[in-house]
Amino acid sequence: MAEATPVQTFHMEEKRRQYRSGSFYLKISVVALFLLVPFLFPSFKTVDLAVQIIIFGALVASFDILLGYTGILSFGHGMFFGIGAYSMAFLLGKYGMPSYSNLALGFMVAAAASAVLAMLISFLTLRVKAIFFAMITLAIAELAIVLFTKLSGLTGGEDGISFMTPGIFSVEFSIGKLMGIEITGKIITYYFILLSCLGLFLAMLRFTHSPLGRVLQAIRDNTQRAEALGNRTFVFQSISITFGCVMATLIGCLYAMWMEYVNPESSLGVTTIMFDVLLMVIIGGMGTLYGGIIGAAFLKITQTFLPDLQHLAKDLFPDALLLHNILERWLLLFGILFILVVIFFPKGVIGSVKERAVRKKSVP
Amino acid sequence: MAENIFKRWNREFTLAGAGILLLLPLLAIQPKTYLTLTIAGLAMGMLLFLVASGLSIIFGLMDVLNFAHGALFAWGAYVGFSVFQLLMKWVEADSVLQNLAVFLMAMAAAMVTVGILGIILERVVVRRVYGSHLFQILITFGATIVLVELIRVFWGPNDEVTIVPLTFSGNWDIMDVIVSRYRVICIFLGAIVYGLIQLILKKTKLGTIVRAGVEDRDMVQAMGHNIYLLFTGVFAVGAGLAALGGVAMSIFSLQVYPDMGGTYLLFAFIIVIIGGLGSVTGSLVGALIVGLSYNYVAYLVPWAAAGVNVLIMIIILLIRPTGLFQAGK
Repeated sequence: MAEATPVQTFHMEEKRRQYRSGSFYLKISVVALFLLVPFLFPSFKTVDLAVQIIIFGALVASFDILLGYTGILSFGHGMFFGIGAYSMAFLLGKYGMPSYSNLALGFMVAAAASAVLAMLISFLTLRVKAIFFAMITLAIAELAIVLFTKLSGLTGGEDGISFMTPGIFSVEFSIGKLMGIEITGKIITYYFILLSCLGLFLAMLRFTHSPLGRVLQAIRDNTQRAEALGNRTFVFQSISITFGCVMATLIGCLYAMWMEYVNPESSLGVTTIMFDVLLMVIIGGMGTLYGGIIGAAFLKITQTFLPDLQHLAKDLFPDALLLHNILERWLLLFGILFILVVIFFPKGVIGSVKERAVRKKSVP
Repeated sequence: MAENIFKRWNREFTLAGAGILLLLPLLAIQPKTYLTLTIAGLAMGMLLFLVASGLSIIFGLMDVLNFAHGALFAWGAYVGFSVFQLLMKWVEADSVLQNLAVFLMAMAAAMVTVGILGIILERVVVRRVYGSHLFQILITFGATIVLVELIRVFWGPNDEVTIVPLTFSGNWDIMDVIVSRYRVICIFLGAIVYGLIQLILKKTKLGTIVRAGVEDRDMVQAMGHNIYLLFTGVFAVGAGLAALGGVAMSIFSLQVYPDMGGTYLLFAFIIVIIGGLGSVTGSLVGALIVGLSYNYVAYLVPWAAAGVNVLIMIIILLIRPTGLFQAGK
């Protein structure tokens, strides 16, 4: 074997260090925790919460490819998510029937459609200015909501579409008990979603750590310089946008499999989905991918237990009407939190931790 | 040779093309309906101009894309709505003077309230993120959520019905063409505001400084003008314009609802992309294009009305990526 180049030794060194660092075991234990959720907490509420965290964690990671790694803000990410959800609903419910082939077809059709759309949008907007991307995706996303709501004959309108998942994923399916817990189709779906999202997440990790990902970060940090070094920024940005959007679409497909129901507001909504995703990515930290999981866990857990908090507040302070009003408008609190995080904490949780670690290392 | 002709008659060609496009719907619509629709479209365009111009001026001078503009618009509409509620007697009175007084008072109250809100927003939130488009969009998007939720806290989450002042409602019947009175008022309102903006920008010292700021911010600062004070002022004026649009639009569409800002913000975005970010005249032209095409298409193919504006925007982006007009004009 030939002598290793300096780059190769560096990579080998890095790889060896990986198994010694604490964060590696943290990641493994998080995955293990999610694997055990149906057995540790068998109630539907917790499993549903776990799915929401997984789905949104992955969605935020895919959004982070655009925002954190490419420096492009898209308000159409929810729309791509919805394209995935709707293509499942169309193929398994409205225009098809539950079967494995339709399920697979749903994933493929959704990915193809969103790849074409994402490329079109990026070709249209990137030649102008990056900020146009935010405005135009917002306009197109709102248009999609209007079309999906108004063309109710084709899309089910505001009522949405309910459908069944095929075979082993369906609610009725059961293979008997394991450790006192019935393994139903829902639990199989849970594991399917968990493993798929894990796979997608690893793919995204691979994407951002590839040479292409490094070029993207260079473009984000200094477009002119990256261009001067001979990188075709337009092509790289288009690839990244398309990749991120296709990921979002696939996650949307998985989400629809879990919900077995889609409607314009919950699957396409700009304030419902996009604001959540933005808050999650900001809390977790832009440009980290892992931050999405922290952000998603924080927001989804808060949202799930907020009604309890409201009851608690009502029991403790029965007279404080203002407090009740504010707690009822929890979006207001999240909005304020969002602004505060952007101002004072722009790197998010992971970003700040990383920064501290770097500082510790540089000051012995 | 041909190129020369195009260059020489550029303006005339453009105007002729615009005229032909304007008359195109006549192929499918009865002339009388066409006139009614045109007036409706002009009125809507003028109101949209009020929203878009503020957005455009703020971007032109400050390089800030204000996503909270729609929320400020909704705030204006709600403040105007409150004034109407307080002075219900005047709204329902059969006197032009009282109606006009309450209309002007609603607009003044909305402009002042939202102007102050704009100053707070600029000083507390936007100022911290100058220079970074990404953070500006994020933070103003967050501000939108907060402002809209505050509307829900103060005025309740439900849709409310607004009332047209008595003498403003009803129609004129000119040669069998039905002309709604309030629409004509809207057209005048938009034209007056456009005239005022142009007058201030072109004829006053302040306007000159603002236009210079659009061209080169650092140079204006170097000349000894306090550009940050100017930023706050322009942000407040932009917010006030949004509020004005909100009041007029809430009466036009006969309702106010907390999320109304989002819908009109999208119109405003499409308009400034068509007209060119930072250009007031561009906003006017863009707004009229959007208002007219929306009305024609809504009459012919109702479900496509929302899409036609996006389509026009895409076409303009393909032909002229920077919009029809240059910034600062």
